[in-house]
Amino acid sequence: MTRKVLALVLALTLAIGMVAMAQAKTISFLSIWAEDYDNGKLLTDLSAKYKEDHPDFDFELELVSSDNLQQKVATLAVSNDLPDVFAYESGTPLKTMIENDYVLNVSEALRELGVEDCIDAGAYSFLTNLVGTEDLYDLPLGLNIEGFWYNKALFEQAGIEAAPTTWDEMLEDCEKLMAAGIQPFAVGGADQWPATRIINAYVMRKLGVDAMNKMAAGEMSYTDPGMIEAAQMLQDMCEKGYFGVGPTTVDQNTAAQMILAGEAAIIYNGSWYTQDLVAPTNPAGEDGIGFFNIPTVEGGPGTLTEYSMNCGTILCLSKDKYDEETADWLKYIVTNLGDYAMSEFGALKGYVINEYPETMSKYSILVAEEMGKVTGTSTWFEAAMSSELSNIAQVNVQSLMNGEMTAEEYAQSLQDVWDANN
Amino acid sequence: MNQVLRDKKAIAAFVVPGLILYTLLVILPIVWSGYYSFFDGTAGMKNWAFAGLKNYGKLFKDKNFLNSLSVNMRYVLMVTAGQVFFGLLMALIFKFWVKKFGALVRTIVFFPVVLPTVAVAQLFAKIYEIQPHYGLLNSLLAGVGLESWVQPWIGKSSTALGALAAMDIWVAIGFYSVIIYGALLDISNEIIEAAQIDGCNGLQLFLHILAPLLRPILVTCVIFSFTGTVKMFESALALTGGGPGTATRSLSMYMYDTAFTYMKTGYGSTIALVIFLICVVGSRIIRFFDWDYRK
Repeated sequence: MTRKVLALVLALTLAIGMVAMAQAKTISFLSIWAEDYDNGKLLTDLSAKYKEDHPDFDFELELVSSDNLQQKVATLAVSNDLPDVFAYESGTPLKTMIENDYVLNVSEALRELGVEDCIDAGAYSFLTNLVGTEDLYDLPLGLNIEGFWYNKALFEQAGIEAAPTTWDEMLEDCEKLMAAGIQPFAVGGADQWPATRIINAYVMRKLGVDAMNKMAAGEMSYTDPGMIEAAQMLQDMCEKGYFGVGPTTVDQNTAAQMILAGEAAIIYNGSWYTQDLVAPTNPAGEDGIGFFNIPTVEGGPGTLTEYSMNCGTILCLSKDKYDEETADWLKYIVTNLGDYAMSEFGALKGYVINEYPETMSKYSILVAEEMGKVTGTSTWFEAAMSSELSNIAQVNVQSLMNGEMTAEEYAQSLQDVWDANN
Repeated sequence: MNQVLRDKKAIAAFVVPGLILYTLLVILPIVWSGYYSFFDGTAGMKNWAFAGLKNYGKLFKDKNFLNSLSVNMRYVLMVTAGQVFFGLLMALIFKFWVKKFGALVRTIVFFPVVLPTVAVAQLFAKIYEIQPHYGLLNSLLAGVGLESWVQPWIGKSSTALGALAAMDIWVAIGFYSVIIYGALLDISNEIIEAAQIDGCNGLQLFLHILAPLLRPILVTCVIFSFTGTVKMFESALALTGGGPGTATRSLSMYMYDTAFTYMKTGYGSTIALVIFLICVVGSRIIRFFDWDYRK
């Protein structure tokens, strides 16, 4: 009898233990943001709130530098060791992950959870366009418009009354700024991507918003005259000294600060720039910086309501690790992320926002207004490129800026890589 | 002791554990890379396929590879020569000129060696800075009226590699000077005094007495410096990121890009093997200068 009781007690303990174990879930998150910064803080905060109702749940953040993110994820994927959730790049890198069946079909998961409508429709179509799928395989962690930001005081000083709407006007304004002893542009040439964005800006106005996608798909050549003209434009602007001396040695953070400090007038940047703008340390003040969309190029189909958009780094879920507990957490995250990001950071993340905060900064309102005008979007320069092509495009843009490579050679170098891989 | 060392079992007991570790950690990965170099695509992904000698054929037609090779070789020449030359110069200064505060001076000269590469690179990026404000170098040049020399030192292909080499020489002078100074202390003062009594001037003393006696340690220093500079990576990454363009992109950086950014494991392994061969052959060539003059 005692033996039977003992056996029963043991069996019960084991069963309870197993149930407890099954409930205890730790979600591991491979992040490029620290726990107290940007999206790292966002997800950590939300997970902490989720934990209040689910004491067995735990959230673990592993930090990796954004330079190493792709390599790290690719290596983990190959060794079947992906974390539950991880930051990643949309476009070609994500496409490869989808093709190899490593990432969760987010649309399906959200449909099952009944929260599909929590994702902002614009973000949804933008993200699916980037990888060319119908379903969503990632979650947005930002939705940014890009364009030119300018220091209003410097424009006034140079006698410029209104922000330019055509590229030629912008060049004329540069001359006015130069004449007034002001460096027209700052660009983070050391980081490379800010420079290719200027080529991209010209291309999307000259050849249309889908030009870069067509080139990646082989429907257009990278040596298209429009592309060469865009590369030439960047080189000419460098030669004329619009970017100052040695623009390939400046990083984008420094360039961004130069605009605020009034050391240069214009910068190409995304709406994530508002984080710097709303900071109390911004020397330009609450209303000192203005925004204008990429000016139109004569003879090109691009219009002023087409924007270059950017989703930044996105969030993926491992297909293998996805289970009920992750699903429950996912549901909580997607339903709360939009409102929380708006109230805490004043940032749009690509989720439906149910409640706008009562006081928004002028810069947040500015971005929201610009977002409202969008009729068409283009992605960033490298979005549709393979990682090799993207690397070459960025490395060679420095040679282009320094005049060590002609615009034709630059375009040809891209086409050569494309030819070698297709 | 002799008896123990003649016992084959004892030899095995001492050597085998180390040999196994060395084989696992060094030889196996090299062989593995060699095996990978016959493949195309990304290891573990669907595009992974046998490619025969394709990667080797591609190597000598690849402009980027040849450019990185050239950058790497120029860097090795500049930095190895600079590190050992200035190390030697500094050691001679320690020995013959610095009388007071010798330990303090040596500590100060050695100091850069312990600084993290990234910190040194940040420091030099500031020294070479031109926009938004002139850095130390450009301010000095502008200050003494050499306005025409002011330039983006790390932003131009013609100067970037030199600027990087200058940084890496500065960092390592302390290390080599301390090694060579140690060897100088080993040379008996009597020999030096005898030479001076015989009427040797400074240059003769160096060429005929010190240099021959220092040769073994100088060769060792050159090998150290050579193997350290062939794998040129972190300082270039931290100071210039390989730029502008590909002006400071080394073989290791190109190998890393190929294997881990372009995800071409096979071709990356091929480049890695080339770096390995350069190391082996280069060290061997330098050893030729290490003949024993007493024989």
